Amino acid sequence: MPLVDDGFEALLEPFYNGKKLTDPISTKDDKFQLLPAFLKVKGLVKQHIDSYNFFVEQEIKEIVRANRTIRSDVDSNFWLEFTDIRVDRPRRQDHNEGKTTRPVSPMECRLRDMTYAAPILVDVVYIRDKQKIIRRNVPLGRMPVMLRSSKCRLSGANNDTMEQMNECPLDPGGYFIIGGTEKVILIQEQLSKNRVIVEADEKNNIISASVTSSTHERKSKTYVTQKKDKISLTHNVLVEGIPIVIVLKALGGLSDLEIMQLVAGSDGRYQDEFLINFDEATKAQVFTQHQALEYIGARVKMGSKKAQFGPQVRRNNVEEGLDALANLVIAHVPIEGLDFYPKAIYVAMMTRRVLVAAHDPKLVDDRDFVGNKRLELAGQLLSLLFEDLFKRFTVEVKMSIDKFLKKNNRAVPLDAVHMISNHANNIGMGINRAIQTGNWNVKRFNMNRAGVTHVLSRLSYISALGMMTRISSQFEKTRKVSGPRALQPSQWGMLCPSDTPEGEACGLVKNLALMTHITTNVEEGPVKRWIFTLDPGVEPIRNFSGAEMHREGSFIIHVNGTPFALTRYPKRFANRFRTMRRRGWMSPFVSININTHFNAVHIATDEGRICRPYIIVKNGQQKLKPEHLKLLHMGKATFDDFLTHGIVEYLDVNEENDALITIYEDQITQSTTHLEIEPFTILGAVAGLIPFPHHNQSPRNTYQCAMGKQAIGAIAYNQFNRIDTLLYTLVYPQRPMVISKTIQLIHYDKLPAGQNATVVVMSYSGYDIEDALVLNKASIDRGFGRCQVFRKYTAELQKYPNGRREEMTHPEDEMDGDVRRRVPKDEILDNDGLATVGYRVKAGEAMVKKRTPLDQTTTGIGMDRGPSEFRDSSVSYRIPDPAFIDKVMISRTERETTVIKVQTRQTRRPELGDKFSSRHGQKGVVGIIVEQEDMPFADNGLCPDIIMNPHGFPSRMTVGKLLECLTGKASVLDGRKDYGFGDAFRSHPVEQVSQVMLDHGFSWEGKDYFTSGITGEPLEAYIFNGPIYYQRLKHMVQDKMHSRSRGPRAILTRQPTEGRSRDGGLRLGEMERDCLIAYGASQLLLERLMISSDGTEIDICQQCGLFGYKGYCHTCKSTKEVTKMTMPYAAKLLVQELISMNVGVRLQLEDEFPHPK
Amino acid sequence: MVREGYQPPTAGAGPRGSTHTGHEVRTQMTYICGDCGSRVSLAKDAAVACNQCMGRVLYKERTKRMVQFEAR
Repeated sequence: MPLVDDGFEALLEPFYNGKKLTDPISTKDDKFQLLPAFLKVKGLVKQHIDSYNFFVEQEIKEIVRANRTIRSDVDSNFWLEFTDIRVDRPRRQDHNEGKTTRPVSPMECRLRDMTYAAPILVDVVYIRDKQKIIRRNVPLGRMPVMLRSSKCRLSGANNDTMEQMNECPLDPGGYFIIGGTEKVILIQEQLSKNRVIVEADEKNNIISASVTSSTHERKSKTYVTQKKDKISLTHNVLVEGIPIVIVLKALGGLSDLEIMQLVAGSDGRYQDEFLINFDEATKAQVFTQHQALEYIGARVKMGSKKAQFGPQVRRNNVEEGLDALANLVIAHVPIEGLDFYPKAIYVAMMTRRVLVAAHDPKLVDDRDFVGNKRLELAGQLLSLLFEDLFKRFTVEVKMSIDKFLKKNNRAVPLDAVHMISNHANNIGMGINRAIQTGNWNVKRFNMNRAGVTHVLSRLSYISALGMMTRISSQFEKTRKVSGPRALQPSQWGMLCPSDTPEGEACGLVKNLALMTHITTNVEEGPVKRWIFTLDPGVEPIRNFSGAEMHREGSFIIHVNGTPFALTRYPKRFANRFRTMRRRGWMSPFVSININTHFNAVHIATDEGRICRPYIIVKNGQQKLKPEHLKLLHMGKATFDDFLTHGIVEYLDVNEENDALITIYEDQITQSTTHLEIEPFTILGAVAGLIPFPHHNQSPRNTYQCAMGKQAIGAIAYNQFNRIDTLLYTLVYPQRPMVISKTIQLIHYDKLPAGQNATVVVMSYSGYDIEDALVLNKASIDRGFGRCQVFRKYTAELQKYPNGRREEMTHPEDEMDGDVRRRVPKDEILDNDGLATVGYRVKAGEAMVKKRTPLDQTTTGIGMDRGPSEFRDSSVSYRIPDPAFIDKVMISRTERETTVIKVQTRQTRRPELGDKFSSRHGQKGVVGIIVEQEDMPFADNGLCPDIIMNPHGFPSRMTVGKLLECLTGKASVLDGRKDYGFGDAFRSHPVEQVSQVMLDHGFSWEGKDYFTSGITGEPLEAYIFNGPIYYQRLKHMVQDKMHSRSRGPRAILTRQPTEGRSRDGGLRLGEMERDCLIAYGASQLLLERLMISSDGTEIDICQQCGLFGYKGYCHTCKSTKEVTKMTMPYAAKLLVQELISMNVGVRLQLEDEFPHPK
Repeated sequence: MVREGYQPPTAGAGPRGSTHTGHEVRTQMTYICGDCGSRVSLAKDAAVACNQCMGRVLYKERTKRMVQFEAR
């Protein structure tokens, strides 16, 4: 189709602040332009997409390659091999795919409640009838496709094609569509795997080094613990801690001297401390490797091999110990050819770390340090799940092949493809279910996580974006420790310091900063080869004894936490390594840092590290030159070009520690290594909306981060095409007067959520106390804060297994005299039983008229036939305020059932009690709506939309709001956009702004002369006024207003129901009851707790104290002593429940007014 | 929606003419295809699909009758 250039494409391009090509460029002012260039290739939502792409394109192939062959236990001639796997483009599951002209679009999936998924295809080679058969493109279930990933239809789509597909070009993507709902896999934060963490328990004087080993086969945790000076190794598979010397002896039969050198080197302090551990081995009579293995083997937990089926050959203790050490303890260090030395080095290193920490308590690790954390993204979680499902799948296929081959006389030769297709669906279904429910269960790893996925919040554009950058922490939600919640200094620039929820999850749920990138896995092999070729002084660690390793000035090079090589020139090595990385010879995401405390060089290539780009500075000169920016400007260079040319580079949190980073160009010295690209990128996308956040008290910014997500505005360009369960839109959204670069970068100015209100700060009427706002009625009439509320009502015509189905029915008619008319309930229905589009619908009216068969279970065979009646199951409108039918959609789901979606629309103007907020955490409700005549006005006729009480300022200290007002005013007066920037950490041009206001005849401080609208007299003070961006929040009185006199009661207790949705009563709770008791208002109490609640007349037998019935006691078989009394039904229920539990309850009555004797 | 201020007395039962005179014949309803925009008439129990483009998302047409809104 011809490409229409509507000029929109240009809007989505990175902005360069309206600079012409010929304008002068200064690196100081314009280096921020790297940021939009960065966001074009990485950042924000891109990490989700990168991670998914990595999984779908590489990881999935790796997994299949690792489990590619299936052999039969029955017939040794048979084999099957998966040679390749790939994920295709998204497809419909419908059979009539061929006839449709368009490929499936995400929007179709949303509307039809389908899953946006693509078939997984495998190539198989196997033996049939002694012949090798190659089958290509065998389907293996369906893989949900992440929107905007490489497999998605939207990847590489331009604005025009996006529009054709009814998609919003500003939609970030990065989520899945499962059964019509948008699901996000949140970023999970975890402690890093395969790294040693040393911790000290001061109270019990225990120091332990622990490592979580994670390989494709298993996950386990190993500890090396020092307790009362004795060091031992503990692991789940071992019954008790094994003295460390025994472990080291078992690992390759090291002599005592070798062990001592490996652990302590030649340092006398450590040697003394470690010496005692040799006694432990002597005490246990362990001197040789054989004895050590015997000792360990005897302590390996029985039943740990349960997983392997079939009769297991009994092994002796030595074999048992050998197996445990080789495969279970510190499993991520591979044992090649029974060479235990690398593992011995690893254990010794852990031991040494413990000794070092015992010596200097400062040298323990910090769990909360961001460098010790890894972020798990969608791709990694999916690959865990897929690996598990694929392994299970191969086992199932193997079992059914075995079953088939066991039959002696087979009619047809075995065709393994049938077996594959029989089990193929399990994979897709498993992934589907996991994303749908959010329960991530991987048996091998004992992983059992709930709440991994969430429904993408589409309340506003910001809430959707905020959800994509959210990080949820795996551990400890209830514990009252402050450590994990506190702001860590290493979070600087990586995680947003402002954006975290208040209350329970405070500090545990975090958000990414603007420039953060999360690494994907980089292959270790090539990096290892580089290590040796880079510097001649580097030699493999295998060649050295402990004495040489720990010699003064020797540095051990660790690759992903495992000791790998030894060098005496760490600085030179690291510099060369970095140079190679800057030249693009290896992945930019490989990090290197030197740790002088432990004489170690750490190289990391693993996935999930948090990193961020910086401008490189060398010899006091930054590498970024004006010509580079010019190239960027002209579109001749991208961010990745700068990366390969060594102008910018990524540093992860650990490497940051080796760098000296300066924020401003003029602060560069000779020792500076890096320059920050832009200071405001330490904030995230949501906090970036705040103008002048650096002038606000910090919690105010946090409040705004929570509120920005509740603001009503435009959610996407396709907002009226998608049918959301609940959609709020603002009728006249406005771009904020004062914006920031972040706003432009995330396109908030294109999908805004708020309006620029003219605010005067003064007291008015007394209806403005406690943050209440005074609203101008005329402003509301003109459309200020007017919003629309759309609701979805769905009906799916269910099919039942017995062939019966739900069906649409006709609206009912009744005779009113001679005229035939619809029954009131069906008034708005059309002949097809669906509401008419455009009609007004009131509470109680039906929108979808359908009926359900009463008989849903019978088979219909022979006499087994149920009733053929139907029950009315119409969908009716239940909200007290009427709405208009906006849209009625009919479609079919993937299961070929009809689905009907009705969308209703309400237009709401602001009313008393609706919530508004500025962008500075200053929320308030509408306290009074005032006629414009009564509002104060300035001498030029200016009349405010909002009057705000000045008491909101002193304690909140939101100076940013004042500056926003001032800046906005100047920007409006001069008509210049560039005044209207409220970027964080930039100086504010107050003087310039004041001058502009003066030039236009306003007071320089933003305060003007106002006249009272009520008295017509001048106000006694000059009033601060100007435009401030106000957001309308989703909390509206109409959705909360509730009252009840009489109404429904709960069946069980006969007390009034609870909650507005059930027309519930208002509870007189314990504390209110206590007040009434204390006051002695007995009649009021009686009325509230009995008469207006669940009082019932009860027959009680005075003789036995049990309940009677209709004046007769069934226990005593008499009517004699039975009397009536009133008591709460709940109390009667309690008595009966206690009786049912075999707790006898007798009621003893006495006269309220005893008869005088 | 309507809560505060002056409410003009509405004549009759509101915007929609609520009487239906004569028997309705079970007519075929027409819908609009979400993909190609063509009009699709569907009989009861017919497959929900546009006969032009096989698009399976259909929308109901807006009523031709006048709808009165309160301009507030």
